[in-house]
Amino acid sequence: MDTLEIRSLTKWYGSTRGVEDVTFAIERGEVFGYLGPNGSGKTTTLRCILGLLRPTRGEVRVLGQPVRPGRATHHARIGYLPGDFRIWPQLKARSALGVLAALGGPDRKTRVRREEIAERIGLNLDRPVGDLSKGNRQKVGVVFAFQHQPDLLILDEPTAGLDPLVRQIVLEMIREAAAAGATVLLSSHDLSEVSAACGRAGILREGRLVELAPISRIVQQGHRRLRVWLKEGEQVPAVPADPLPGVQVVQRGPGVLEIAYEGTADVVLRWVSQLPVDRIATPETSLEEAFIQYYTTPTKCRTTSGGDRP
Amino acid sequence: MTATRPPLPWALLAFWLRRTLPLWGATALMIFLVQIAVCGIVHDNEHVKAFLSMLKFLPGIVKTALGGEALQLGNVTGLLAMGYQHPLVLTLYMLFAVAVPTGLLAGQVQQGTMELILSRPTTKTQVYVCAAVVTVLGMAGLVAVMFLGTAAGTRAYTFDEHVALDPFLRAAVVAGLAASTVGAITLLAAASFRRRGTAVGVTAGFLVVNYAVAVIAPWWPWLEPVTPFSLFYYIDLTAAFLGRAGPVSDMAVLGSVLVVSAVAGGVIWQRRDLPL
Repeated sequence: MDTLEIRSLTKWYGSTRGVEDVTFAIERGEVFGYLGPNGSGKTTTLRCILGLLRPTRGEVRVLGQPVRPGRATHHARIGYLPGDFRIWPQLKARSALGVLAALGGPDRKTRVRREEIAERIGLNLDRPVGDLSKGNRQKVGVVFAFQHQPDLLILDEPTAGLDPLVRQIVLEMIREAAAAGATVLLSSHDLSEVSAACGRAGILREGRLVELAPISRIVQQGHRRLRVWLKEGEQVPAVPADPLPGVQVVQRGPGVLEIAYEGTADVVLRWVSQLPVDRIATPETSLEEAFIQYYTTPTKCRTTSGGDRP
Repeated sequence: MTATRPPLPWALLAFWLRRTLPLWGATALMIFLVQIAVCGIVHDNEHVKAFLSMLKFLPGIVKTALGGEALQLGNVTGLLAMGYQHPLVLTLYMLFAVAVPTGLLAGQVQQGTMELILSRPTTKTQVYVCAAVVTVLGMAGLVAVMFLGTAAGTRAYTFDEHVALDPFLRAAVVAGLAASTVGAITLLAAASFRRRGTAVGVTAGFLVVNYAVAVIAPWWPWLEPVTPFSLFYYIDLTAAFLGRAGPVSDMAVLGSVLVVSAVAGGVIWQRRDLPL
C-alpha cells in the first residue's frame, strides 16, 4: 500500500491555477523529491495533502484513507514543516513545541525525542522563538516536524537557512526516518538537497507535473557533456552547426572545449576524433542542470504515469 | 485502518485560555473597579440626592450617555445600575468580545500559526469551538466579576435604603448574553477574514452603527423604523432591574442572533481554505 496517493489533484484559486491534474504516489520508506520553482504549485499540493485546502478536483489518500479537508485525517502520524515556518515568537521554543505536540495527546516519548533532536541539531530550547536567528527558527521547525516520530513527513524546504553542518544532520535524519519506515515528501528548489536525500522526484511546472522519475533518470535526461583538452598549442576550433545540430558550447578556453549535446555521443565523438585531442572527460550532469532544462524547453507533461521506482 | 475523529484539543483550549488571561484579567479588574467606584460615589447621600434631582432636568440622550435609562429608575439601584451601562464598561466588554475571537482565529491565520495547529490532530471545527469556548467563558467570567463588584461595593459602603442584589444578577445575565452575542458576531467576522484588522474593523463598524442607531433613534423619528435592527435595541437593562417580562423576548432575540452568528461562522470556517 502506498503511504501517499494523489490522483488527478487540481486546485484553482478563482481563476488562478494552483495545480492541475497532478498524480503520483509514494510508498512506505520512500523519500520523494517534489521540485518546482516558486509558484509552481508545490505548497498548494502539500496543503491539499494536509486538508488545509479543498481540492477543486481529484483525490488525496494518506495511509490508505481519503483526506477530507479540515478533518485532520491521520494528522497524528504526519510531521509537517511549512516553507514559511512561523511560531509564537514570545514563547520559549520548548513551550511552543510542547503546545503543538500536546495537540496529539500527552506523550512522554515525544518530549524525550524533542530534547534529543534539539541537542542533535544544536538548538537551545530555552530561548524565546522571537530571539532566535532565522536558522535557529528553522531548527525549531525541524524539531516540530520530527518530534512525534511521524509515519509521513511533509517537508517544505527543510534545510532553508541552515548552516552546512546542520543541513547534513537534517538530511541524515530524513534518511534515518525513511530507513525506519517513514515516508518523506520533500518539497524543495534546493536540488543538491533533493539529490542527496531522494530516490525519486516529481517536477512541477506551472501547476502541472512534467516529470516523475528516479533522480538518476532525470539527470540522464538532461544534456550530456563532453570536455575536450587539446594538445598544447592547438587552437580550439569552432563547433560546426551543420553536422552537429543541438550541440552547445558550454565553456571555451585556451586548449579546452566543453560542449553539451543531446542523444547519443556518436556524431560528437566522430567530430572530436578529427581534432588533436590530448584527453577527454564526460562530466556528470547535475540535477540542477537537468532541472533548468525543464524550464527552458516547451512543456511536456507526465500526469498519469506513476513513474518507475528506483 | 480507519481515520478516527481526533479528541477535543484540550491542550489548545488551555493554551488559548492562558494566552487570553492577561487581557481578561485587566478587563475584569477595570470592570470590578468601576462597580466599586460607582458604589463609592452613590453611597454619599447628599451627593446622590443632588444628582437625582439634577437628573430630572437632563434630556434622555444625556442620561443614556451617562449610564442608560436605568437612571430613570430614580433610586439608588438605578444609580448603581449606571455601572452596568456606562460607556466605559460597555467599551471594555466590546473590546474583549472583539479582541479575543479575532486574535484566536484571524490573528493566528495571519501569523501563520494556524497552519501549524491544523497540521496536528485537530479539526477545523474543534479549533473554532475552542475559540468560541474561550470567548464565552471570558464573557461569563466578566459578567460574574461585574456582579461581584456590585456585591462587594454594596457590602463595603452603607446605603440609606436596602439594595437588593437580584436585579443586578438579572442585569448581569442580560449583559453577559449581549456581550456573548457580540462575541459570536465577532467569531463570524474572524472566521470569514484572513486579516485580523479586517475582522476587527468590520465588527467595530457594525457595533458603532448599531449603538449609534440605538442612542440617536429615540431623538430622530426618521431612524425609528430601523431601531429593531440594532442589537442594542434588545439590551434593556432597566427592564432587567425592574424584573419585567420584557427581557425574555429580548434575550430570545439576542440568543437567536448569537446562535445564528456562531453557526454561520463555524460553517464558513469549516468550508473556507486555510490559510489563504
